Amino acid sequence: MTRRSAQARRQAALLRLTTGIVSAHTEDEIYRSMVEGLHDEALGYSFLGVFIVDPETGDRVLRASAGWPDAPEHWRVHRGEGVSERAVEDGQLHYTPDVTRDSRYLPSRVRGSEVDIPLRIDGDTIGVLVVESDTRDAFDEDDFEILGAAADQAAIAIARAQLLDAERRRADEHKALLDTLADLSSELELSRVLQAVIDRAVTQLGVSGGEVAIFDAEREELVVVASRSVGKDSTGTRLKLDEGAMGAVARTLEPLIIPSYHEWLGRSEKYADITVHSVMAAPLLIGRRLVGAIATVHSDPERIFGEEDLRLLNMFAPQAAIAIENARLYTEAQRQRQYFESLVQNSPVAIVSLDLEHRIVSCNPTFERLFGYPSEDAVGRPLDELIASDESRTEAEAYTREALDHAVHGIGQRRHRDGHTVDVEILGVPVVVDGERLGLMGLYHDITELLQARREAEAANSAKSQFLANMSHELRTPLNAIIGYSEMLQDEVEDLGHETLGDDLSRIHTAGRHLLALINDVLDLSKIEAGRMELYLEDFDVRAMVDDVATTAKPLIDKNANRLVVRCPDDAGVMRGDLTKVRQMLLNLLSNASKFTSNGRIDLEVERPPDDGQALVFRVRDTGIGMTPEQQQRVFEAFSQAEASTARRFGGTGLGLAISKRFCEMMGGGIALESEPGAGSTFTIRLPATAVAVAESST
Amino acid sequence: MAKILLVEDNEMNRDMLSRRLQRKGYEVALAVDGRQGVDMASTLEYDLVLMDMSLPEIDGWEATRELRDQDSTRNLPIIALTAHAMSGDREKALQAGCDDYDTKPIEFDRLVGKIETLLQRSS
Repeated sequence: MTRRSAQARRQAALLRLTTGIVSAHTEDEIYRSMVEGLHDEALGYSFLGVFIVDPETGDRVLRASAGWPDAPEHWRVHRGEGVSERAVEDGQLHYTPDVTRDSRYLPSRVRGSEVDIPLRIDGDTIGVLVVESDTRDAFDEDDFEILGAAADQAAIAIARAQLLDAERRRADEHKALLDTLADLSSELELSRVLQAVIDRAVTQLGVSGGEVAIFDAEREELVVVASRSVGKDSTGTRLKLDEGAMGAVARTLEPLIIPSYHEWLGRSEKYADITVHSVMAAPLLIGRRLVGAIATVHSDPERIFGEEDLRLLNMFAPQAAIAIENARLYTEAQRQRQYFESLVQNSPVAIVSLDLEHRIVSCNPTFERLFGYPSEDAVGRPLDELIASDESRTEAEAYTREALDHAVHGIGQRRHRDGHTVDVEILGVPVVVDGERLGLMGLYHDITELLQARREAEAANSAKSQFLANMSHELRTPLNAIIGYSEMLQDEVEDLGHETLGDDLSRIHTAGRHLLALINDVLDLSKIEAGRMELYLEDFDVRAMVDDVATTAKPLIDKNANRLVVRCPDDAGVMRGDLTKVRQMLLNLLSNASKFTSNGRIDLEVERPPDDGQALVFRVRDTGIGMTPEQQQRVFEAFSQAEASTARRFGGTGLGLAISKRFCEMMGGGIALESEPGAGSTFTIRLPATAVAVAESST
Repeated sequence: MAKILLVEDNEMNRDMLSRRLQRKGYEVALAVDGRQGVDMASTLEYDLVLMDMSLPEIDGWEATRELRDQDSTRNLPIIALTAHAMSGDREKALQAGCDDYDTKPIEFDRLVGKIETLLQRSS
């Protein structure tokens, strides 16, 4: 063979190799492409092999061969042995013209020459390409050049394949993770999920077994819930903190590798009878909170856990932790859901939920009872079609529409299936979840009986007021006779000259008058309390009214030798109010003033205050006995004359001021008091010059 | 002396008031319900009517309205006697057409004052 044709064959071999490795996907496919591409008896490339260095032992492992049909699979050549070791040691191409004369020669079927070309990636020698010929000194520079180029190309392809492989492995791990998480959402039975996690972890790590425990925070113990091939069924085993490998990591919150479990002092008695050799454990954490622990075991003494194993385990730990946390959250949510469910089911209030089209989605038993529609008849139908009567339809639909937007509250009437009317208090609220409007919820509180009770109470109250009015009328009739006849007798006794009887008759007359005043005041007060006191508004001249009051009060003023000073501006003008009540209040104040003042002065003043043109102020000031702060506090309460003894001494019903205060409020005004013991009292009534009938709402 | 018609259903009130009016020198005739009151007043024998408001048959307000509706008694002085100094009663009495009102129990001197004022005005 000419040198030229030999060179052509070499180029052809290199081209075969290049074509082969381009279409190869895995490292093994590349190795095979290398040896098969270069194999050419004519070139003396009779026996070819790719040995890859095992990083842990340094042995060279045969991964592909050609021209060597009975080559043992994964044949190992130990470190330091064989001719090809040199290329691995220094990363250089080595040529051995006669292998039988080499000191490192391992006897084999080849007895000719050998070329060893290192496979280098990023400066590291990962293996060696061995090319052998049966002929001694079969290779020259041309061969070295071609084989060097072949090894360089192959190395690039191997590096790429390793990257791809790592990618693929990551993808597998990712898929395993996704598979587990898919389990989490479809199957929330915790122990099953954790079993799936540990099964995958064991497979991926290539270990002999493993287990997962959850942390019982209450008892501060780990409970094994999933286990696989740890030499016994450890499910249900409880471990205290610091007990065993998982107990240890639960305490430290750091992963732990135990190369020889049986020599480890921290091991648990509960695992005394198992045959594992080495153990790797990691805590399961959510943030820094312990939720459990995971462990994998190896029974093969040759296998020792390393960094790569820990990295893989750390991929499964979060899955298990998330599974445990999800289960906890799910249980919690389930419990809450059941709680609310039972709240809705047992609520005395009818509850119905509607979709955006106002159709019923669900309703509770009270709703079924209140409106007579079983759930199956109600669901899917528009609410207002069911329970709104023709009269309430518009109002009901407005409620429903509004409740989609904001809470509405009111009282109305709805219809039972059998046609009868139900009085209900209604609350409508939108249902919004995560900012999305889903529909609304309606709550109906049956107030039929409540309203009935109120109507009855109102009727009873009205009957009571009627009774009071009737009774006071009936009391007054005989009282009129007592008062009238005693007056008449006084006249006649005078005429007949029986003066001694006069005093007694006068006492009967006075007592009768007092009783009458009491009856009138009690009637007034009860009318006010019942909200039945009415205002009769009319326009009247203030000055004329004040003069009239002063004249009427004259006898009272004179009785205790007091002096009345009236000050009323000429432009006091016209007031709109209840004349009778204003008169009654002023007379009451003047009567009080004259009762508690002797040989003194009583002022009746009227003014339009400069700060408020719309108000009128009436003031009654005396120089009498005055009141302590305590007495002032109680003076507007019914039957609260400062002391019981004063009532006896000064007379009066003790209701006048209580009535006056309420009259003022009815007219939109108020009454105030300033007083000091021994220095007199001043009562001030302030009324709007134009009263409006706010009477009903203020009582 | 002036002739007064007292329309009052309560026997004691009727007796007491009529005796006191007679002592003052008035001539007093009595009616016991609203219907009789209207009938007697329509005879035009009286100078003034004292009308209780709560009466059987027809009440004082109705009786007053009837008297005001017939030409002959349109200007006959009528004083309403109401049970209690309630604003409502006074209003209602004046609206029905009474010239004045007084509350029971009667303060006799005040009532006589009102009677005299009205008699002078109508004469």
